[in-house]
Order: sequence, then structure tokens, then C-alpha cells
Amino acid sequence: MQVAGRKVAVVGMGGAFPACANLDDFNKKLFSDQSLIREWDLALQYSKQIRSTVSGYISEEEMGLEPVLTELAERYPETYIDKLGRIPDIHLATADMGSIWAMLGAQDATKMAGWSTREIESEQTGVVVGSGGAGNQILRVAWHYFFQLGKKARIAGAHTVDRSMSYREAANISCLLKTKGVCESITSACATGLGNIGHAYRLIKFGLQDRAIAGGVEGTALETFIGFDGMMILSKGFTPEKSSRPFDTQRNGFVCSFGAGIVALEEYEMAKARGANILGVIDDYFNNSDGDGDMFYPSFAGQQRLWKGLMPDKGLRPDVVKMHGTSTPVGDSVELLSVVDALGEEGYHMSAPKSQFGHMLGGAGSVELITALLMLQNQKVLPCLNSDTLNPELEGFQKTDHWQGPDKPLAAYRHLVPQKTFAKEINRIACLNYGFGGTNSAMLVSRDI
Amino acid sequence: MERQEIIDGLIEILKTVRTIDPEKLVGVTEETDFLTDLSTPSTELINIAAKVEHKFGIEFDDDDIDHMGSKVKDIVDLIIMVKAREEK
Repeated sequence: MQVAGRKVAVVGMGGAFPACANLDDFNKKLFSDQSLIREWDLALQYSKQIRSTVSGYISEEEMGLEPVLTELAERYPETYIDKLGRIPDIHLATADMGSIWAMLGAQDATKMAGWSTREIESEQTGVVVGSGGAGNQILRVAWHYFFQLGKKARIAGAHTVDRSMSYREAANISCLLKTKGVCESITSACATGLGNIGHAYRLIKFGLQDRAIAGGVEGTALETFIGFDGMMILSKGFTPEKSSRPFDTQRNGFVCSFGAGIVALEEYEMAKARGANILGVIDDYFNNSDGDGDMFYPSFAGQQRLWKGLMPDKGLRPDVVKMHGTSTPVGDSVELLSVVDALGEEGYHMSAPKSQFGHMLGGAGSVELITALLMLQNQKVLPCLNSDTLNPELEGFQKTDHWQGPDKPLAAYRHLVPQKTFAKEINRIACLNYGFGGTNSAMLVSRDI
Repeated sequence: MERQEIIDGLIEILKTVRTIDPEKLVGVTEETDFLTDLSTPSTELINIAAKVEHKFGIEFDDDDIDHMGSKVKDIVDLIIMVKAREEK
């Protein structure tokens, strides 16, 4: 149960961002309306086998890492060298690429938070970080050598489990920083990033922890990419920077991307008492399920219930809604209309950061929460890039008898969907993320004033 | 194959294990203990065994590894024993 009067502040953030040197670079590029999506050289090597070759990917070199290739298995990184000396070898040995990003993000977030070693190593500091997929890059090699080539299980090395297990990012962060509180992962497909932060928020709000390192990750892996490519739901036919186009009539799929977003959360009064810089205050977190038996198709009713759970008294209206906005044909239109249904036709704007860096899967919710914190900091709304034309006609589902949502076409809401970054007073942002299986997550975060 | 030749090959392998401090590889003898002297994480012993198999062109039985000691001489003895076994 919630503890009355107990609030949760965000006091630090960090992560891994495509085509960016660091968080400052990410901030600068986002708010100058740049796209971080590129042609992916690795995907191009397999261009005859896949449909899409654009991605917001992050290379090892860009993160200051060098793979140590083993002679036992072709192209298999036995471990990584941190060329910048940030993480000891003993911790690199147990980490896949995403786990390394998670550790680097946690280092940056806790440094920004200004937590002492005693605070970090406390029983009151938890770690709640997860990813959408397994350690697919690691598992592929282990399984290939065992099943296809008939080799001993040990050929893939002794770290297949710790480098691929579901909560590997949380485990690696906890071992690196020696935290003594809760250490676990929440996995909920593309809602994972926000779900982990939401769970960490509850741990603090409910009085179980005072601090938490929380977030989501998706490490660069062609193994992950091809699963979505095989579903034929990735964007195709545009130049990289035009590929992610939420709400535009020409959208035809999402851009599969990778990244990590880690935040440091702290009980509000404790953070204030030590003079911490409060990046945002989490007003509430709510999550639910569609309950309609459909793994993939978005549910307007599920999203309606999400908004009712998030804003039961309508008293905490957001100035900006950070949309899930993937650039998929049905998902975007159902989401836009459910937001209009909840908030009306005026008084807020929609922002779709995936238009700039694509869909980071398990990392999406947390990196996008960081974009919301940056919007609060900069007092600027990030755009829905490439949303050139909104449908002037009703969507097919709006013409059915059972449709009970807004009865205007998407084009009627053009004024809510900015195409460029612009400045305005922003006191509160709603963040939305959804995932396969009909899972829906929402968080309200406010400026500390 | 001479014992020193095996030790030299072993040290080459140990140099590729990044969780072992390279400075500790100076002066390795048959009595050097992987766990207590080189502070090798126990999980790395499996990786070292797999690299030994590759480098010396042999294949350990699972029992060989299960009963392997943690000193350099234990691995040298094992390599010689397995080589002899495979040549029969």
C-alpha cells in the first residue's frame, strides 16, 4: 500500500543512445530535431535475408568497447575490453553488451544523483532493470555450437547463463555497485523500460526502499532484429531519417533500435534534505492489460482504462503526452484517439521520440522517460518528426458499429501533433508505453516547483 | 611434449583471460595455484580448460575436469595423461 505523504523524485539519469557520445549529446541532437536512425552495416551484410536495414543501433566502438573474440567460436565476443577503464574486467566477464550499457548508465545516474558509497551500498538501495529479450547474441552461439556442430557445452564458455539470463542487467549493476536492497527485473515486452521504473517507484512509494536504480535496456543484436523483421512489421522504403514516422499516413512499420535508459530514484524528502537536483517528481504509475485475448492488436478500451487508472480524478492533467508512437499503422491511430478521448481536443501536445531514434524495445520506455525529463528541463516539446500528413479520412475501425471513441479523423488533431521542437511551459508529462500481450503502462512525471 | 613447453602454452592461454592480473603471470611455476595465487574466478577454470583442449588438440572427459586440481601441475599432469590416452 502507498505510504501517505511519501513521494518519489528522479535524481539521476544515464544510458546508451544511438549515434550519441553521451547524454548531453543526446539532449542536443534531440532538441535540434535530428534523427539518430542510420543504415545498419551489419544488417546490410544480410540484405538478401531481411526486409529492413535501418536502425538506431549502437556499435561497440561508439561505447568505447572492444570485443575480445575467442578462437573457440567464430565471431563470438568472449568478453569486452573497456577502453575507457570504467568497468573492471571481472564485471565485464559476466556481461553481454546490454548489461555493459546498463552498468555504464547506472554509474552515470548514481554520479548525477550524488549518492555516497554508503548510500549506494545500502540495504535501502534497490536495482530494478530489465530488457525485452534474452541475451540472444550469446545464446545463438552457445546453441549453434552445441546443436549444429555437436560440440561440448563448455565450448561456449562458463558465462552463457549470467550473460543471457532474464535479469542479467540488474544482476550486473548490483554486483558492480554492491547494492544490498531489492534486485530484480520486470519484463513486459516493449513496456519493459517504463515497467521497471514503475515498479521501482512503487518500492519507494510503498516504503520498501529509499532509493532505486531503475530502467530498461535492449543491447544491439541482429538476432533480436530479425525476429521483428520476420514479422514484417518494420519500416521499409524510406531513407533512414524518414523511416520512423508516427501518425503519418505513409507509415508502414517501426524502426527496430537499441539503447539503454537508467534513472536514479529517491524518496523525495530525503533527496530534498540533502539538496539533490530534482529532475522530476513521479506523480503516479499505473499499468493494466487489454483483456481482449489478442496478443498484438491494440485495444482502445484497454487504453481508456489505463487513463482512468492514471488520472482517476482528472486533477493531474499533463501539458505533454509522451506517446508510445511506434509508426505502425493501427497502433498509432488507436493511441492518438485514446489520448484525445482522455484529455479532449485542447490544452496539451503529443510528442513521439521514436520518430527520432526508433523503437528501443525493452529500452524504449526508460529512454523515452529520459526524453520526458529533458523536456521538463528544457521546457521544450519534442516533435513527432515525419508526421507530414495525418489521415483526413476516418480510420476503418472508427466506422464500425461498436466504436465509441472520437468520431473525427486524425487530421482533426493536427494542432496537437507538432512536427518540430517548440518551447512552452511544461509542468507535467504523461508517458505511455505498450507491449505485446496487451500490456499497457503509464506514468505521470512533474517538474519540481 | 616437455612439461615446460606445456607450461609455456598454458601461460599463453592465461594471458588471454582478462580476469587474471598479467603481473601475476610472471614467475608461474608448477606449484602456482589458480585460485589462491592467481585469484582466478572459479568460473574461468572451465574457459581455461576449453582453451587448453583447443590449444593442445585434446578433448577432456567430463570426469577429467570434475577431478582437476587447481594447481598448474595438476593441469600439466592432466594434459600429459589425456594425450597419452588419446594416442593409445
